[in-house]
Order: sequence, then structure tokens, then C-alpha cells
Amino acid sequence: MMAASVESLGAPSRPAAPVRTGRWGGHPTHLAQQRRWGALMLSPTLLILGLFTFVPIVLTFWISLHAWNMLTPITKMSWVGLSNYTNLFHDPTFRSSLLVTLVYVVIVVGITVPLSILVGMLLYFPRVRGKGVARTVLFTTYVIPTIAVAMVWGALYAPSYGPLAQMFHAVGLGQPTFLSSPSSALASLAAFNIWQMLGYYTVLVVAGLTQIPGDLYEAARVDGAGFVRQAMSITLPLLRRTTVFVVLIGVINAVQVFDPVYVLTQGGPITSTTVISYDIQRTAFTYGLAGEASAMAFSLLVLLVAVAVVILAFMRSR
Amino acid sequence: MMSPRWRTRVSRWLVRAAIGVVILVPLFPVYWMVISSLKRPADLLSVPPTWFPHDPTFAAYRTVFQVIPFARSFLNSFLIAGTATLSVLLTSIMAGYVFGKYHFKGRDALFWAIVATMFMPPIVTLVPLYWMVQHTGISNAYVRVLLPWLANAFGVFLMRQFMMDVPDELIDAARVDGASEGRIVFRVVAPLLWPAILTLGVFAFVYYWNNFLWPLTILQSASQYPVVLALAQLLSYNTTVQYQNVVMAGALIGSLPTIVVFLLAQRVFVQGIARSGVKG
Amino acid sequence: MAFPRRTTSSRARHPIRSLVASVLALGSGASAVAAAGPSSASTPVTVTFLTHYAPPQVAMLQAAATAFHKAHPGISVSFHAVPFGNLLSTLTTQGPSAGWTVANIYDLWLPELVQSGLAAAAPANVTKAVRTNWPANLVTDVTKGGAVRGIPNEVDLYALNYNKALFAKAGIASPPKNWTQLVADANKLTNKSAGVQGFGVITSWAAGVVHPWLSLVDSNGGSLLTGTKPNLTNPRVEAVTKLYAQLVKSGATVASMSTANANTTGPYLDNFAAGKTAMIIMANWWEADLKAAMGSHFSDVGVAPIPVGPSGTKSSSVSYSWLTMVNSKASPAQQAAGWQFLQWLNSPSSGKNGSSAMGDVLMSMGILPSRLSDVAAHKAQLSDPFLRVYVAELKNASPFPTVLGGEQMTDTIQTALESVIFGRSSASAAMSSAQSQVSSILKQANG
Repeated sequence: MMAASVESLGAPSRPAAPVRTGRWGGHPTHLAQQRRWGALMLSPTLLILGLFTFVPIVLTFWISLHAWNMLTPITKMSWVGLSNYTNLFHDPTFRSSLLVTLVYVVIVVGITVPLSILVGMLLYFPRVRGKGVARTVLFTTYVIPTIAVAMVWGALYAPSYGPLAQMFHAVGLGQPTFLSSPSSALASLAAFNIWQMLGYYTVLVVAGLTQIPGDLYEAARVDGAGFVRQAMSITLPLLRRTTVFVVLIGVINAVQVFDPVYVLTQGGPITSTTVISYDIQRTAFTYGLAGEASAMAFSLLVLLVAVAVVILAFMRSR
Repeated sequence: MMSPRWRTRVSRWLVRAAIGVVILVPLFPVYWMVISSLKRPADLLSVPPTWFPHDPTFAAYRTVFQVIPFARSFLNSFLIAGTATLSVLLTSIMAGYVFGKYHFKGRDALFWAIVATMFMPPIVTLVPLYWMVQHTGISNAYVRVLLPWLANAFGVFLMRQFMMDVPDELIDAARVDGASEGRIVFRVVAPLLWPAILTLGVFAFVYYWNNFLWPLTILQSASQYPVVLALAQLLSYNTTVQYQNVVMAGALIGSLPTIVVFLLAQRVFVQGIARSGVKG
Repeated sequence: MAFPRRTTSSRARHPIRSLVASVLALGSGASAVAAAGPSSASTPVTVTFLTHYAPPQVAMLQAAATAFHKAHPGISVSFHAVPFGNLLSTLTTQGPSAGWTVANIYDLWLPELVQSGLAAAAPANVTKAVRTNWPANLVTDVTKGGAVRGIPNEVDLYALNYNKALFAKAGIASPPKNWTQLVADANKLTNKSAGVQGFGVITSWAAGVVHPWLSLVDSNGGSLLTGTKPNLTNPRVEAVTKLYAQLVKSGATVASMSTANANTTGPYLDNFAAGKTAMIIMANWWEADLKAAMGSHFSDVGVAPIPVGPSGTKSSSVSYSWLTMVNSKASPAQQAAGWQFLQWLNSPSSGKNGSSAMGDVLMSMGILPSRLSDVAAHKAQLSDPFLRVYVAELKNASPFPTVLGGEQMTDTIQTALESVIFGRSSASAAMSSAQSQVSSILKQANG
């Protein structure tokens, strides 16, 4: 998933000009010409996304009804109906990887969103030096490849010769387990995702803060409202759009987690870091069970759509 | 009760300390990456770890270019991420213009269908996509990687949002002057939106440079690998902690291009956000 | 943003076109060679060799390939190394498109590779060479679907490794011979304040979890499979899992010291090397890594046969082997060149003092070679105090069953054992859940 800048969401949208009005719209030859141009400019996008996004979704469902190992031609896959789905239903690994992914999303989003709002406010309101540097430094972590980040954090998490273990030891916290224990491995992966993404979300929050008119705070100050009350009654409510956007991006980003699991934990210990993307990739490309993997993938898609529908309905009703 | 002045002074120092933390925490892993890459094997083995390299050496940087085709993977990454970025900009500007300024039946349904795919994890379509590209008969590695990357739903979404803010009068005036639609998009509208285009360009470049799963699935040999895959390959040199300097040197070099692109574009980036606040 | 003008002169366009062409040519790389189809002997052929070896071994292989290239200028070999944890998925994703020509593989994967038609049958001369120069059990191991599919190289088995210095400090004279002694010694050796665990296990790496456990099963008179049916709930099998649970409960095994990384090294190895683990069951191949990590302290390492369980009669270890195979999707010329290189690499003409180059590579890691002439050539090193025990136990070893679905089966047993090691599940609950899962995996894979 590519990242976004907040002004895209906050941009005031004005109604687009209807083609048939105005000084120009009346000429039929121009209209036909314009239609041709429209089709021409839209077709590359539609072609690419249609062929490489929509067609594969349909194919995923089709493959999920078959047994296939990907090394044999697709024409030789054998029909199994819905049995891949019924098998999934009884598969404890699949259930556990859905749960692990959910926990990861909750940890990452639950910590990053409030933290980015706090840091965003810290880097927007006070008049002190160093704010610009802090914003740049924070955002830089976002552009470093996740693989490189995983490699560095793998070293930071090293048991006795790692710096974090040493720090924990120095302040009397004993021997931290980090990636070595099923109770801390997922949280350790979440920690470095938070480290990596915080800067990006903070920039979004700062951009959202600039949209809040300063005279609102003036008025509040005249009324004697302190920082906390200003935050509760002005900042947070007016930052709602940005917050929703950050939550959305955060969820999308966290659901997809794959790279650090692939290079650092291979899904372990036990199944504590077997997230859904890793489980699907392993089932398809290591076990050669493309039919089952496709059933997992399609179930994931259906689940996400269901969640999206519930969220949309919830937001509409408010 | 403390005096107000004293309170401001304390809170001011607290804020400074907090900003200091906000600067140091992101920097620490980067610091560790740098010093580890300069350490000698004996230093890397020491328990507790050393916080400064005793006798720094650049040997690891030489090694990293010897053990994997690192220079080649840089070229691969630049070609792949560069081409994908240009293509995404081009297709997004055109599609964004049509979605933002045209009226036709089913426009909004089509637009939101495209936007909805942003929320789909790439793993969902990985198996069929792998099979499809495998069976196009195309053996060229760049083409294989790039095919699904030539257009991007988020790019379309972003450009459409910006296109909607462009005044219709401007477009109408150009049409009266007899300009073709293609000319209007690239000569009249796009120049107005260049901060937005640059922003999208930076995001796209970073995204495609860092993308791991798709190249991992579709590429076939080390000579075709972009930097992130070459880095993952470096991990096989991590059998003992003694090789960690090489791994860290690789991670550092592999991270530089996106950092540089971001730092170069950062001013316009900030300007873009500022301008979008002023305009309209 | 500049938009290309329509009025670009043809002269200006030409260099751009050739630039595009050359860039595209760059991307084709090795696969262009693969697409070229049958080529005459004079056309140069590139063989891509996929392996999980570490840099020193890759360097040795590279040197051998250079020597081979001198004698056969038409064939060049390039090496592609990935971590062990990523080797199988690399094999399968890059196999059908001939991304690799030859690969060094774990024998457990061979049934799937043969079934999917990826493993080429060896030509007659290679088949003959394998049948004459390797022990019969390994010839059987690489023969699937009526044909020899590759050339065996390393053989690995397990033994109890222990730290003599820690044993001396605890006043224990000799390594445990049975489980009663194992438990008693483990508890005696454990020293919480010094961070020492008595008996170490491995987690996060499927074979590292399952093989030592299965070696204890074998030494308790049990077995993993009967045909394609698992025996995980058999009392002789479950007894090992219960032993693990007991050691974890008493604190003699510390779960968090057991992690392995994608290279199958990492904390568990570091803990043993640093004298924090008194005993561990491990394969012979880690000798080189231990030497590198321990330096002069390597002399503290003692090796003993797997302790015998209450229902067992003799010590027995799991063994497994590796082989180099050729990709049937590569071009005929590449396949021929691949077999030619592999045969040479595994023959006495490529190495030193009667060994093959492959044998030399293996011995540099402390791995047992399997070619009879390699075993003879390395006799001196094979009788060093570390390897001697492994070599002696080879005759009692039982091969890890290679069945369709074997990889998924191993991962499932790994999960069950880790849940016991980390105290998340009781031994019998873990084994009965693994039993039902493995049954259905094997049923599905073997039809």
C-alpha cells in the first residue's frame, strides 16, 4: 500500500463542471473528440488495474476451488469444490494466523495513532527550536526499506551482545526475550513497525493541525481553557478526519505485514508471529498448496470486505 | 503553588526534552547500524556490546560489494522504481483528470471500485499474478516486475482529489483557445499541480524501491534482484555474529537512495503542503 | 513536468531507442540464456547453482567452478546463495522458469520435486557413477520414480554435545547414557544465577526442533511414521515430549535460550558456545560454527551418543542427507552442462588428495561426506574427537522419512513441540493435536 498525504483527504471538493455546459460544450464534434480523449487517457489505468488486480481476484476464487501445486500446468489442476474452505474451517493454523494478524493490527494501530497525535502536537504548538529537525528525522525512518529496518532491529534485539538487552540489564530489568519467546515476539515486531511508521503519521497529523484556524484557540484562551481542555474541545474533534485517515492507513499497512516475519522469525516461536500473509505465502510457495492458499486469500478478502462494510455502516449511522 | 514563570520554564524544558527524545529514538537504530558496520569481528563478538568501534574499519563496505552483486542490484532498483514511478505519475495524472473533470455514466462507481482495491493486501492476488506473469512468455525481468506496477489506485485517487480543485474556467478557456485535451492536461493543469505530482512521485519511488514480496516471487536470479532482495540475500552471511558488519554496511548503503530522494524533495514536499493550505 | 514533444528528430530518437533496447537486454540476464533452447557445444552455457551455503563454502565452490571452467571453457557456473529458511520457496518459485539450473537440496523435498516434474532424471553415466560410488542406502534415498535424481553429498546425524568444563565444575564424570542420568545431570548442571541451563533445545527452525526430538524417540524404541500414518500418540513417542515438559518445568531447559535464525544458527548456538548451555543434541555440521564462535574453548566440547530411553535398547539418531539435482525445466544444454559439472564436482578429480571438491567443502564445515572415496580420503579428520562419535553412530542411524507432505508435517510437529517447550500446552494435548493434523496432511498429500 502506498502512503498518502493528508491534504488529499481534506481537500475541499467543488462540483466538477458538467461537460455539456459553458461556452464550449455545445459543439458535437468537440464533444465526440473529448469523449475519445477521455477514453484514451483512462484506458492505460483501466487496462493495468483490470488485468493485474481485478482478473487475479477472480482467478484467486477460481483456484481456491481446486487442488493445484503451481509446478504443474494450471490446466491440470483438479476440481475439489468447496473442500479447501471446509478444511480451512478446521485448520487451527489458519485461525491462529488470523488472530495473530488481528492482535498485531490492534497493537500497532492502538499505539501509533495516539502517539502520532501527541508527537504531532508536540511538533506543532510549542515555539521552540528543533521541531523541523525532529520532523525530518522522524519521517526519514519511513523511507528506509523495511528489510533494512528488520536487519537492524534483528541486531538490536540480539540476546547478550545486543544493545537493547544490555540496556534492559543495566536498568535491572533482567534478560529480555524479544524475538525468543512467544509472549514477546509479536510485540517486538510491532515495536519496530511503530518506530518505522510513526514519523509518517506524525507528518499527517501536523498537516491536519495546520488546517485548524488559530483564532479558535485564541477564543478558548480568552475563556480560560488550559492546554488539556483546548486539546479535548478543539484539537481532537477538528482532527477527526485526519485521525480516521491515519487509522485506515495504519490498518491497511499492518494487515499486510510480511517482510520482517520472512527475514526475522519465520513465523515462530510456536505460531506467535505467523501472520496471515506469511501463512498464505508459505502454503502456496513452500508447501505447494496453491488451492488452499487461494482459499485462505479469498477468505481474507471476504473478511476485510465484511469489516469495511460494518465500518462504513457505522460511520453513516453517526 | 509554583509561580507561573517557573511553571513555563519547567514546561519549556519538558518540551525540549520531549523533542530531544523524538529526535534520538529514531536515530538510535541508525547509529547502531553505522557503528556495527565499522566494527571488526572481535568487537562484534564482545559481551557486553561495545558502544563505539575500537578500531573502525571500512573493510565491511568492500566485502559487501564482493559477496553479492550489489552494484548491479542498485542499477536494477533504479530502473524498476524509476520506471514504475514515471508510469504511475503519467497514468494517474491522466486518469485523475478524467475522474475529476469528466461526467459520464458509472464514473463514481468505477472510481470507488479502483479506490477500494487500495485496501486489498497484495497477498490476496499473489498466486494468480505469479502464474499470469509466468505465462506471458516474457522473460525480461524488468518487464515481469513492472507489469502490475504501471498504474496505481492510490495515485489515481490522489490526482483526482487535486484535479477537482483546478478551476473549470481555466480548462474552459484553454478549450476555447482550441487546445487539445492532452495539451490541457500536461501543459495547463499539470504545471499547477507540480507540488502534488512531486509528492506522489516521492511516495511512489519509495514504495517501489522498498517493495519486497512481489520481486521476491517473480524474479529468478541474483543478477535481477533489486536492492531489497540483495539485502535479504546478505542475511545468509549472518551465520555468526562476526559477519554482522557486512550485513549492516549493506543495510546502510541500501537505505541511502530513498533517504536522499526524500531529503532532496523535502523542501518542495513541505511547500506543497503549505501551498495546498493557501490555495482555493 | 516536461512532456515529450512530437517533433523529436529521428536522429535524437535513435539513441533513446537503443538505450531502451540495451536496458531491456540487461533485464533478461540468465533467463535469456535459458530461453535460447538447445545450443551447440560451442555456445557458452551458464549454469546457475542454488545453495544455502555460507560465504566461505560458496568461495570454495566458486574456486572449483573456476577450475572447471578452465577445463571446459564453454560452461560457466554462477552461484546463488539464500538462507536455509528461504531455500525451499526459492526452489519452487524460481524452478518452473528455470531461474536455477542445479540446486543443493534437502532429501525431504525430493518427493515433491519429482512429483511435480522438476527433478530431472540423471543421465546413464551419472546413474552408474552414483550406484558404484555411494553406499546403498543413499542410492535408494535419491532414487525416486525409478530413476536416480541427483548426486548425494552430505550426511548428517545427531549426538549429544556437552561442555566438559561445566561437567567438571558440577562434579559429573561422564556424559549421561540414559534418560534418568540425563535428567539428573541436567538439573545438577543448571545454575540460574550464572544463567546456565542444563539441557538446551532448539526452536524456530523446523528440523532443529524435530530431529533431536526424533533422535530421542528412536533411542526410545519409537518411530515417527508407519507407512504414511503418524505415531505421535504412541507412548514411546509421547515419552520424549513428556521428558521435554519435565525439563522445562524443573528449569533445566530454558525456552528463551533456544531460538534459531533463518540461517539455522543464532542464539541457541551462541548460548552453547558461550558456556551457557551444558548439553544439547545437535548435528555434526555445526562443528565449523562452534570452532568459529568458541576459538580455543572448542576443546571443552564433548560428544556422546544420544541417551537411551526407558523403552529403548540402543542409542539411535535421525539421519538425513543432501543431494545436488538438476532442474528439468532448464534448457537441454544447461541440463547437460549441469550434470557434467555436478559429476566432476563430486568426483576425485576435482578435489585434493583423492577427495572430491564437494567432499572438501563439506569437511571444511565438519559435515560427513557420503561418497566412499571421500570418506577414505578424509579418514584422519573423520577420526578427530568431535566427528569420531558421529561416524561411529552412523551405522545405528535411522533416516528421516521422506514422504510427500514431509515439510508441512515437520512444521506441524515443530509447532506442537514448541508449544510444550514454551509451556503453552501439555505434552499429551500437543501430541494428540499434532497427530490428527499430520494424519490429514499426509492423507491429502499421498492421496
